[in-house]
Amino acid sequence: MEQLIEQLKSQIIDALNFEDMTPADIDTDAPLFGEGLGLDSIDALELIMLMDREYGIKLADPKAGKAIFQSVRTMAEYIQANRTK
Amino acid sequence: MRIAITGIGMVSAIGCNCTETLQALRNERSGIGAMRMLQSVHTSLPVGEVPYTDAELKTMLGVDEPMPRTSLLGLMAAREALEMAGVNPFTFHLSPFTFISGTTVGGMDLTEQHWLDYQQGLATEHIHLHEAGESTNAIMRHLSPFTSHLSAFIATPSTACSSALNAILLGANLLRTGQAKAALVGGAESLSKFHLNGFNTLMILDHQPCRPFDANRNGLNLGEGAGYLLIEPESEALARGAKILGYINGYANTCDAFHQTASSADGEGAYRAMKGALEMAQLQPEDIDYINAHGTATPNNDLSESAALIRLFGDQLPAVSSTKAFTGHTTSASGGLEAAICVLAMQHGFIPANLHWSQTAEGLIQPLTHTRQQALHHVLCNAFGFGGNESSLVISDKGKDLSEAPMTQWLHEPIHVEMVNDQMVNEFVSPAEARRMTPQTRRIVAAAKKAMQEAHIDQPDAIVCATQYGCMLQSMRFLQDMIDSKEQQLKPTPFIQSTHNTIASLIAILTGNHGYNATYSQGKDSLACAMTDIRTQMSLGLIRNALVLEFDEEVEAWDKVLQHIGEKTQNIAKATIITL
Repeated sequence: MEQLIEQLKSQIIDALNFEDMTPADIDTDAPLFGEGLGLDSIDALELIMLMDREYGIKLADPKAGKAIFQSVRTMAEYIQANRTK
Repeated sequence: MRIAITGIGMVSAIGCNCTETLQALRNERSGIGAMRMLQSVHTSLPVGEVPYTDAELKTMLGVDEPMPRTSLLGLMAAREALEMAGVNPFTFHLSPFTFISGTTVGGMDLTEQHWLDYQQGLATEHIHLHEAGESTNAIMRHLSPFTSHLSAFIATPSTACSSALNAILLGANLLRTGQAKAALVGGAESLSKFHLNGFNTLMILDHQPCRPFDANRNGLNLGEGAGYLLIEPESEALARGAKILGYINGYANTCDAFHQTASSADGEGAYRAMKGALEMAQLQPEDIDYINAHGTATPNNDLSESAALIRLFGDQLPAVSSTKAFTGHTTSASGGLEAAICVLAMQHGFIPANLHWSQTAEGLIQPLTHTRQQALHHVLCNAFGFGGNESSLVISDKGKDLSEAPMTQWLHEPIHVEMVNDQMVNEFVSPAEARRMTPQTRRIVAAAKKAMQEAHIDQPDAIVCATQYGCMLQSMRFLQDMIDSKEQQLKPTPFIQSTHNTIASLIAILTGNHGYNATYSQGKDSLACAMTDIRTQMSLGLIRNALVLEFDEEVEAWDKVLQHIGEKTQNIAKATIITL
């Protein structure tokens, strides 16, 4: 799980163009949206695409992302449970 | 001056002229259906296609040269509008003939079809047609066999889905300042794999026919088409005995200044645009008989537009419908097509239905679900685009005298900022702001902020961008990725940032500017178009100052294509403040 979290942080930094950040800068349990990284609806779409590309998870309803993307940890847990690759 | 509409022309999935469109609207027959013309892998997405191939359209139009589908659709609608108005642009005293046509897709359909050919130096005769402005020039060349477009004023507003309505605004202002004796105004847009895939990455395409304002709406269907109005001073129309179909009595463009793709919850930009249009027309909300809503059927647009409508109209809300359930969302053409539909409805005394609506929900307005016979005196037409570019137009059956003004010059020296080094970028653009920007976008944002600082103007009345190719780096990223991946697993950000008006709206969003916001893409004449717009509005007293942006970016992938026609892209990031 910890390995997945670290990998996911790198992928998030890459997908969302956080040029000056390292995985250590992201708090695993901090909210991704609003406070924390301050992501928006475009980022949510990028995260949905990230899960599709990297883990073979397809979300048909963008609203479903809300629960999954609460934090890096909730996202990793969802990926762990649903990944197809 | 009263601005008369003497001709309309329209092409969409429900008809290739006014007669066919009228019949479909009256019979409540939608044009949305299975994809037949567009060669995309996403065949399960319904679309509103004009039911002819490019080859068939060329035969119908007598065109035998390479031409984007956008231009073919535009030419068809433009000819109808001129014919109805009884105008031959090159024998009639319309000098210089004014043609303003909004588009964003332009020749992208040809670029995506021929991309692999271009890599091998083949099909190079299509390359120059990629530019938005070139697709407008192509229409112009075919409006008369005798024309040289040198004798004409041509402009291509490219503000995403409000482009065509903004073309009408500019045309009306040119008439009021005596710069044009008549103007053919509106827009054209064909379907392309590029923007079908783009909207698909935003997860806002409904797999069913779209349901504007319905509780269970699940996104839009893309459509294609064109719509134009021929507008001229009433005095000119009467003098030549033309039939007047309606009048342009009010209009406004504002920026929501909220987000690149999402509309604000309170519909601030839409509210300001509609309010501005009503104020110019000196009308009260209860005077409006019908509102042709933007109504795309995305969850966000319809809720935000409803909020704006409820704020402005309260319990005086007239009949509202979105005709996108008939035509699909014709994106940059929608303002022209729907304005023309409003004139048609006024002519024939009916209100088009909002198809596929069954259930309301909190915060949503309730649209008119069936065609209604009703005399229309004042109609409001909305078109909203990416970046929160919001425009509203009032069309009336009787003309209102609009103020006129001769063209004036600004009195103060313009303040230019053209540079821009990394230090300045760091000073003016925070890392959070810079995250999604290309290097050249960061430079233009820094230049804009610096120019505003030097001029001591935090909130210019207008932000107008001139760009030959638009945001080409992100466009080419998305295109290349789409072709390489065979339309699978595409990232949304490059698409969102690909519209020509990305720069002007980004600066409005970063600075909270709700003022006029426009972008012109007319090849080497883009800046001249932007300056004409600004000078015209200053002369009319609509704005006192403006931020002018000149933007283009070097893109290796496109240079590899352009080398076949001896051209190349260049980096331009220049900001200028002009004050009256």
